[in-house]
Amino acid sequence: MLLLLPLLFACKSDPAAKPGGDELLEDSAAPDGVTPRGDVPQVDAPEPVLKRLTTTQYAHAVRDLFGEEVIVSASLEPDQRVEGLFAVGAARTSISSYGVEKFESAAYSVAGQVMDNPLLRDAIVTCVDGVAADDACARDTLDALGLRAWRRPLDAAELDQLVDISALATERLGTFDAGLTFGIASLLISPHFLYRVELGDRSDTGRYDGFELASRLSFFLWDTIPDDALLDAAANGDLDTDDGLAEQVDRMLDDPRALDGVRALYADMLHLDALDDLSKDPTVFTYMRDTLGASAREETLLGIEALVFEDDGSYLDLYSGQRAFLNRELAALYDVPAPAREGFGEAWLEPDGGRRGFFGQASFLAPNAHVVSTSATKRGIFVREVVLCQEIPDPPANANTAIPEVDADARTMRERLAVHLEVEECASCHRLTDPIGLGFENFDGTGRWRLSENGATIDASGELDGVSFSDAWALGGTIAAHPETPGCMVRTAIQSATGNLVDELSVDLVDWHTLGFTNGGNRVLWMLRDVALSPAFTQVSAVEVAR
Amino acid sequence: MSRFKNILNDAIVGNWLRGRAAERVGLPAADWRPRQALSRRALLRGLGRTGAVALALPPLEAMFNTSGTAYACDGVLPVRFGLWFWGNGMLPSRWLPDATGEGDAWSLSEQLSPLAPMKHKLALVTGLACKVPNTSPHGSGSAGLLTAGPALEDAEGNRRGPSIDQVIASGIGGTSIYKSVITAGSNCTGESWTGPAARAPAETDPYALYARLFGDTFIEPGEDGIVDPRLGLRRSVLDAVVGDITTLQGRLGAGDRARLEQHLEGVREIEQRLAILEENPPNLESCERAAAPTADFGDVDGRAQVFARNRVMSQLLAMAFACDQTRVFAHYLTAPVSDVLFPGATAGHHDLTHNEGGEQPEVNDITIQCMEMLNESLQILDAIPEGDGTVLDHSAILAASEVGLAQTHSIEDMPTIIAGSACGYFKQDIHHRSFAGASATPLLISLQRSVGMAVGSFGFDDAASTTSLAEVEA
Repeated sequence: MLLLLPLLFACKSDPAAKPGGDELLEDSAAPDGVTPRGDVPQVDAPEPVLKRLTTTQYAHAVRDLFGEEVIVSASLEPDQRVEGLFAVGAARTSISSYGVEKFESAAYSVAGQVMDNPLLRDAIVTCVDGVAADDACARDTLDALGLRAWRRPLDAAELDQLVDISALATERLGTFDAGLTFGIASLLISPHFLYRVELGDRSDTGRYDGFELASRLSFFLWDTIPDDALLDAAANGDLDTDDGLAEQVDRMLDDPRALDGVRALYADMLHLDALDDLSKDPTVFTYMRDTLGASAREETLLGIEALVFEDDGSYLDLYSGQRAFLNRELAALYDVPAPAREGFGEAWLEPDGGRRGFFGQASFLAPNAHVVSTSATKRGIFVREVVLCQEIPDPPANANTAIPEVDADARTMRERLAVHLEVEECASCHRLTDPIGLGFENFDGTGRWRLSENGATIDASGELDGVSFSDAWALGGTIAAHPETPGCMVRTAIQSATGNLVDELSVDLVDWHTLGFTNGGNRVLWMLRDVALSPAFTQVSAVEVAR
Repeated sequence: MSRFKNILNDAIVGNWLRGRAAERVGLPAADWRPRQALSRRALLRGLGRTGAVALALPPLEAMFNTSGTAYACDGVLPVRFGLWFWGNGMLPSRWLPDATGEGDAWSLSEQLSPLAPMKHKLALVTGLACKVPNTSPHGSGSAGLLTAGPALEDAEGNRRGPSIDQVIASGIGGTSIYKSVITAGSNCTGESWTGPAARAPAETDPYALYARLFGDTFIEPGEDGIVDPRLGLRRSVLDAVVGDITTLQGRLGAGDRARLEQHLEGVREIEQRLAILEENPPNLESCERAAAPTADFGDVDGRAQVFARNRVMSQLLAMAFACDQTRVFAHYLTAPVSDVLFPGATAGHHDLTHNEGGEQPEVNDITIQCMEMLNESLQILDAIPEGDGTVLDHSAILAASEVGLAQTHSIEDMPTIIAGSACGYFKQDIHHRSFAGASATPLLISLQRSVGMAVGSFGFDDAASTTSLAEVEA
């Protein structure tokens, strides 16, 4: 792991690796013979949506406000997916009463930890004496902290209210520090902290105001609150122009916190949270350990970090790349030499191993399987829905979904699933999913390689939308080369960044971003920058206020 | 340098695992002991456990909600509701008893046999159907049975209305510390909804559940002390939050405004709780601080510890009833489509319901295990004496699943059991089989009426009904 780190960032300081350069919304280096995408299409801006902080955004915000030592209760209300994304769920679902209760107790826990730790306290509190009432000190502290926590300056009434609460608590509890704890907790219980109030209703330009853009940028690119430089840029009006915005975007993508943003985007898109509750029968899958889910998650995210930040590489390499980051547990599961004695090391996967890219990782193979077996259907659905953004309908509720048990005539999953394709009611959907999933049958329910099942040789060949493949290695390449793969990534990034559904945005605009993405070689950094500068991200239409 | 630090932290698997272990940090340490604002316990003790208690006591305000719909057993004890849910249904041929009737007229079936110790307190209802389009496997049955409406086909998978546990919580939860408590015995979200677009996830961690119900703010009857001044300060903070939310709502469209209304509801519930703790903490005779969990409830060899988790959560929920911490629980042993690897099973539950051949002996065994756990939960409620009976006697527990036969996602013949009589509202030791295709909604109306709610109609579209299930009402 330690050896790997300098490598990961060696290229980050290379200006050539920066996406876009001065060509703000132009194609990245489009190869000869490729149609340039032209000017951005004129589209109606979407209505704003009120996003609640996700659980990781909450944790990152607390870290950046107070310090890494502060522990956020792990039991905040779980995020919910809508359209496959927590980032969209955060804009569309309600929090439960129990979730509000958890926010309240987390706020007091955080504020208490900060005020109990002299180092953390002194970093935010402007006076030394922790006993005597001092409204001026409370005001200065909450003013500065409020700007960062609420991602905008507090108005006079808001600040007065917080100072009053601190003063009341100081009086009742006897010390200034105990009182200020309540002022700080108030900041964290407020909807202005817990929700991203980016409504565009404080400017009349059809563009989000500077502080709203700062918040949008930081949560999209960093998965956390803005830093001081970004807040300064907002205050100075720098974000009111596309040039000023681009300058900040470039700075942010060159900052270590961009790792958090990319991790959050892909953990969300690829459903890596499913690894938290990985349940496998260890008597069937003998390489199953309680730590497998965490190892697999890290493998995937380290690979994406290297692809995005070190290589400034193509998104498609996620599915066809041979570079891998493995620890001993994963090396044992994949039956390759462990590249590092401790932690993760870098490995290069060869074709004779049959395994490459995300679809060769336990992160994909294990959650999209059953407790004791594989599931060609689940794996196929994942590819269709997550990677190609296609929708697979639920099976008819009254369908008999039983697949035949293993017998002499049906030993492999392919033979047993054949029944799905014989019954027309089932076949219309299973023809879309099962042939893809069967391409991964050489990997068992945890991702270990196998050549046979119940004594019969596994045939992993098939066809994806007219393109034949011979095995999982080839299928990874086939999915990477699928014409809908880049557009789905762009669509996912736009939905994640804005919380708006693509249906609410213009298809032309998504296509325009996709053309730029593919013209430039599908570079993720370029695409993130392109989305951050998109009218879908910066423009807003007036909301019809409910009465 | 910070970049390195960050990636290192994330890369260390141990850290990640530690992050998963719930960090249970309460409010800042208290120097104050909570005060018992209203002591009626001695009174109750002195008067004994007869119905005469009601005559000797002034009404306890805390036991009636403002609309007066909640009534109390003997005028003293609250009536409660619990939803006890398991996923993936049953096997109808092994679930349905041979005979209907009351008392000795009927006997338990094979799958119901673990409930023998509680048979005298059960009303088994068979044959009820969800009158909703069966468009979503498992989803339609869950929405149909619990909300008496269809599962919506929007991106959020929303409902038309709240689930029965939250309907009843709105009716009778207004005067207890918690309006409702939602738990799960396995890693799942549960199927509770407080509104059409408001899912209410279950607590899956027994330790977090204990901390919530019996942690810092719990007041055991007989405890003396002064009121913690922080309770009032927290209310002041929440007053400000209500103001902030209300102002913000004025800038929002209808959808976001409704979402914040749910948030506001959560704030109001905390305010209610703080007010009760300050002014009039509950003080029931049978209440004592529950024992804290001590075991590790993680999977063992890939198998969820369903029995241990169900047991500890049932104990906490039963005492939460006895202490009037809440009057409504929803407990999800497992969820629809649960693939929990049960003891002795060779595959996940849901996997087996579809793929096990023949008469599905493993699925049968799992359903029987679910009923063993239901029996255990009911016995825990029945073991706490209260008034002239037990906590179970003063409750109605609906045990149900989202399908009948899981293999075909049937919602035509749902498994439904009422345990406890809700202070005599329900008949006991009865098997009622409805006519084929009868709607399940009247059962939900009966349950609401059993806890004192004056409900005239319930449900949506074809699942709407205005009648209760008189056959099981005493």
